[in-house]
Amino acid sequence: MHVTNKDAILNELASIVGKENATASKHIRYAYSYDMSFVTPKMPDYVVMASTVEQVQGVLRLANKEKIPVVPYTAGTNIGGLTIPERGGIILDLKRMNKIINIDTESHYAVIEPGVSHAQLASALYKHNLRFGWPVGPPSASVSSCAISHGIGGLNARYGLNSQEITSMEVVLPTGELVRVGSCAINPEAWHSVLPMPQMDGLFKGWLGSTGVVTKLGITVHPIPPVLKVFTVSCQNVEDMVSYMMNLSNYEICDDLTAVSWWLAQVPIPYPYKPKPENAHEWFCFANTNSFTEKEKEARVEIWETVLEEEKKKGTSIQVTQYPEEALRARTHLPSQIVGSTKNYCKQGGAGISWPGTFTPANKWAPVYNDWKKILIDHNLSPSIRMSMYRGVHYGMLRAMIPFNKKSAKETENARQAIVECLKVDLDHGGMPYKPPVDYAIEINKRAHPGYLLLLKKIKALLDPNDIMNPGKLGI
Amino acid sequence: MKWNISTLEELEDAIWRCTACGTCKVAYDYGPPSQCREICPAGTEFGFEGFMASKGKIAFARGILSGELEWDEELVEAVYKCTICAGCQSQCQLDHKPYIPEIFEALRRKAVEAGAGPLPAQKVIAQSLRSYDNPYQGPRRVRTDWARIFKKGKQKPIKDINKEPAPLLYFVGCTGAYNVPERVIPQATASIFNKLGLDYGILGENELCCGSTAMRLGDAEAFKRMAEANLETFKKLHEKQGVETIVTACAGCYRAILKDYSLADEYEEMMKGIKVIHVSQFLYDLYKAGRLEFSGPLPWKVTYHDPCHAGRHLTKFLVDKDGSQLWAGAYISLNEEDCLYDVPRDLLKAIPGIELTEMQRIRANSYCCGGGGGVMTGFPDWAQRNAALRIQEGMETGAETMVSICPFCHYNLNQGAQGIGSPMKLLDLTELIDRVLPEKEV
Repeated sequence: MHVTNKDAILNELASIVGKENATASKHIRYAYSYDMSFVTPKMPDYVVMASTVEQVQGVLRLANKEKIPVVPYTAGTNIGGLTIPERGGIILDLKRMNKIINIDTESHYAVIEPGVSHAQLASALYKHNLRFGWPVGPPSASVSSCAISHGIGGLNARYGLNSQEITSMEVVLPTGELVRVGSCAINPEAWHSVLPMPQMDGLFKGWLGSTGVVTKLGITVHPIPPVLKVFTVSCQNVEDMVSYMMNLSNYEICDDLTAVSWWLAQVPIPYPYKPKPENAHEWFCFANTNSFTEKEKEARVEIWETVLEEEKKKGTSIQVTQYPEEALRARTHLPSQIVGSTKNYCKQGGAGISWPGTFTPANKWAPVYNDWKKILIDHNLSPSIRMSMYRGVHYGMLRAMIPFNKKSAKETENARQAIVECLKVDLDHGGMPYKPPVDYAIEINKRAHPGYLLLLKKIKALLDPNDIMNPGKLGI
Repeated sequence: MKWNISTLEELEDAIWRCTACGTCKVAYDYGPPSQCREICPAGTEFGFEGFMASKGKIAFARGILSGELEWDEELVEAVYKCTICAGCQSQCQLDHKPYIPEIFEALRRKAVEAGAGPLPAQKVIAQSLRSYDNPYQGPRRVRTDWARIFKKGKQKPIKDINKEPAPLLYFVGCTGAYNVPERVIPQATASIFNKLGLDYGILGENELCCGSTAMRLGDAEAFKRMAEANLETFKKLHEKQGVETIVTACAGCYRAILKDYSLADEYEEMMKGIKVIHVSQFLYDLYKAGRLEFSGPLPWKVTYHDPCHAGRHLTKFLVDKDGSQLWAGAYISLNEEDCLYDVPRDLLKAIPGIELTEMQRIRANSYCCGGGGGVMTGFPDWAQRNAALRIQEGMETGAETMVSICPFCHYNLNQGAQGIGSPMKLLDLTELIDRVLPEKEV
């Protein structure tokens, strides 16, 4: 970053957001310089908090004019270093833009600002017996950031990724213009759909904050069926688990269809690696179903029992298992303080956690897992792997949650190396990392079709001619 | 006396157990129905991550320990922009959870050692403790002004425990004695004791500050001086005047004597035969024993504010120190048996006519009044604004009166109400009880 007069810039920022909401103080910048991932901490030069769309526009216009990087920030809870400023500049903290603008209880969508947390929205929706796909992250994490970064949630098996729930968007471009995509672009009161117009929300989803700042987001919300039934099974190997999940997934009866390896089922993940007890199963699966009536539930039970029979006939090791009560609560009582990247995952490791988080075809889960297991154990790390099916189809999330001792540079680097090695294996099997740190982006781009990179660069240059938005994150 | 007060360096392992996940930022209950509200006064007021909950302050601690941050005026100010309310601690699920307020105070102690802290306005407190043995710069003779009403009319004079024996010492505390609007609390407390015919006494002009304020500000030396003198006094009073119970109506004094003083290696020995109890618990025990009968009715709709010092600050944590249960340093569970959550509520419910209606943030998720941790001295405007937020929350319940058991909360919340022109008044529980407790017939 090249800034000739930091004080002058700070004064200009203060004139936009107010003196109390703009700072260049080192201790505040320091607090934004790291997260829980292995990504090397880096300091921003300024931090500003915007409260209005006009303030966001003002900050971006100034940054664009002065060619200062801008990193949008809501809660900083991702585990890919996505808000660590690669090239300094301005952290644009959006936590104060936290209004739930509308919950349309008839059309079933909500309109929110970027600072709205999962806990906040869950509380508001609950009053109308509505829900969203809550992730296993801290309750304070941002709904908007999760959705626009292709985050996952507890309704993925039924509705797909949280980004697939987006219905409309208002965005400030890096050059400061305010744009809208979806139905709200035609009628400011209509936030129900991104279709049937050209699906331009794609310009801002999965770009890691490098194409603009989403200032309002419409998302689909869903009724809460009152009858919960969770099917829990375990088995001896990943192949059997994949067979069961693909079979059950065919019937499209689950809100969440997820399996975890023995190491991820522990509270917390063992760090460093410790062997699984001989008599313990290696894989555990929970399938959450929600029904409106007991009869509907019974029909789901019937389907599940059919699947179990079929899997037994195939000779798989699938068995019905009682899931530990705390773990079950953690999967059904979301958002939750006790899950996510807090207690269960990295407690024993020492504050650090990162992942190879990928979207991978289900028929590749087993070979990738077997390779990951070897790589991770070689690095003295637990193969704490999760597989989740998305929206009826046979692909989904395959990821390893890797805790490490963040205080130790050596142990952090060991984790980074193992994770990047895992990622390469997954990419070779056709998987795709999501919310990728720069290390992953580099690996993705190495394999990318030249036309993909060309288009990526053209779009980026069109929207962000001075490359000010979260520069460096896409590895281009 | 040897004290087990941790340095920042000694807490380094706990500091590195914070993942910066941000679970600490909001008070959230799954429910159903789920509830979510702000929990951090500093985060609510100032917003930037450094101010926000334990995540933010631990960043400062990490930076100071690693040498990446150095003390400057702005950092010192930021470190003192915290009410040490422990609201963030109630949300955290990680292994450093038991140590969170301790880490903040150790950071302040580090600032004091470096000659950087506390803030200039707060330094007056340390000077006042040296000159007057209280943080209010009040002459010793003023300490008993609140008790003058007991020297008039039919009122029974209060016993000077320095001269006359009594099994019960009423430890008044500096806020009740010197902060004029707060004198209603010792007056109500003494009135209740008199009506109950209790044999009790006060230290009068010989009472010293408990040292809580100094401890919260990171001035460990000032705290130790006050605490050691008090422990000596308590021991002497037990041996010579027969004191068996110390009762206090101040949440800050209660926390200090019960918890902070226990960091002294001689605590058990000095307090042998002496029990320290908050007046709400003391009265509750009498109520349960059938010795507290209320006249009535008092047809008021009230809400109750949990003070941090009498609530979540008294949580006890179970830690696997040697790794025999989970792993070394693992936080296992918590115990809230000392937290005064139910006692004041049960007493309120026992008063005929009282209708208790709850705010959303209560018990371990109570929203701090904004007065603690030196904030009322260092940032009085912010303290008042924060108190106004709590008053507004109280008003949302439809209650006309807010009740609490802490003179600090009493003062600050009434300031907050005045600041926004709210008709809501904050009354101490003793004030209510005194109203409905009939004179004992002689």
